[in-house]
Amino acid sequence: MKKTIAYLSLLFILGVLLYVANPNYGLKFGPGGDDWKNLRYTDDYYITHGVQEVGGTNIVTDIVFDYRGYDTIGEATVLFTAIAGAVALLRPWRGDEE
Amino acid sequence: MIQFQFITAFLLIVLGIYAFLAKRNLIKLILALDIIDSGIHLLLISLGYRIELNEVPTAPIYTGYETLKSPMVGPLPQALVLTSIVIGVCVLSLAMALTINAYRHYGTLDVRALRRLRG
Amino acid sequence: MRPRCGTDMGLIVKTSARAIIPLIGIFGTYIVAHGHLTPGGGFQGGATIAGAGILFLVAFGLNEMRKHYNKHLYSALEGLGGLVFLGAAMLGIGTAFFYNTLWHNGPIFNGKPGTLLSAGFLPIMNLAVGLKVFTGLVSALVAIAMYRRWRS
Repeated sequence: MKKTIAYLSLLFILGVLLYVANPNYGLKFGPGGDDWKNLRYTDDYYITHGVQEVGGTNIVTDIVFDYRGYDTIGEATVLFTAIAGAVALLRPWRGDEE
Repeated sequence: MIQFQFITAFLLIVLGIYAFLAKRNLIKLILALDIIDSGIHLLLISLGYRIELNEVPTAPIYTGYETLKSPMVGPLPQALVLTSIVIGVCVLSLAMALTINAYRHYGTLDVRALRRLRG
Repeated sequence: MRPRCGTDMGLIVKTSARAIIPLIGIFGTYIVAHGHLTPGGGFQGGATIAGAGILFLVAFGLNEMRKHYNKHLYSALEGLGGLVFLGAAMLGIGTAFFYNTLWHNGPIFNGKPGTLLSAGFLPIMNLAVGLKVFTGLVSALVAIAMYRRWRS
């Protein structure tokens, strides 16, 4: 009984997601032309101004390190903390040394 | 008509949630976490695509062969997914360390044996 | 038969790994150094070089890895990568945090877009993040691989 309810709820989640992805009601896949200028103006700004403002020809690197640098700092902090936590969890325990 | 990128991403997400519900092994739960991560990355990347009438968009990198007019896909989802991938690797390594400690402490990977966590 | 902890693999795997590991390292360094020109960047190149380290660990075994791996050196290099990243972000603190002052009015790294010495602090940050990701992933993998000696 519990398993049936769980799998029915899975199907419900899948149906809701597919309904959201329908281009008539929700997400539009790949806007072009004027829709691109209206809906994705941030991407358009980065593509047209990135080389002049930052200098790198790889726009993704420009965004990661310059426009969204705070994200990268937080992500570097997360990487450092996670590696430190993993190494500290896996250290040899006190009663373990042969 | 729903795009097949969206369908694949949602199938990956639902498959990960199913593995979370049905499986009882800790390693399989970590794999389910990674599958959900992959589905979300695929969804975000496919949201940045662009369809123009007569031209095929390229990656957002000026290598000298394109002019400034040629269409490019959106670079912002790619940058944010790059951050998300690194955080996924961090979560994976930390969960693996915790799983190894749990196996050492309990001798099994079954979640039902870990239910009675005593401090 | 369960392989014992710390042993290496066969002769073919070791010879192939000895030939392939420098090529993977060179390719990863290329990805890191050209991160602001071509596809790639600090994270991807660092992960590629870490793949070379993991191949060394798998092919040559844990005892050989223990001789070439220094925990304190790798921890110091990871911290150094983070600090260089923060310092490169601090270069333009007179205007704003993360202001690309080397590209706008700096002495170096302000060449024509598309050349190697351009794009301000992006090459410095790529090198720092590549070093950080490489040392972090190798440290995590070696820590996971070394934790097998309570029942061996």
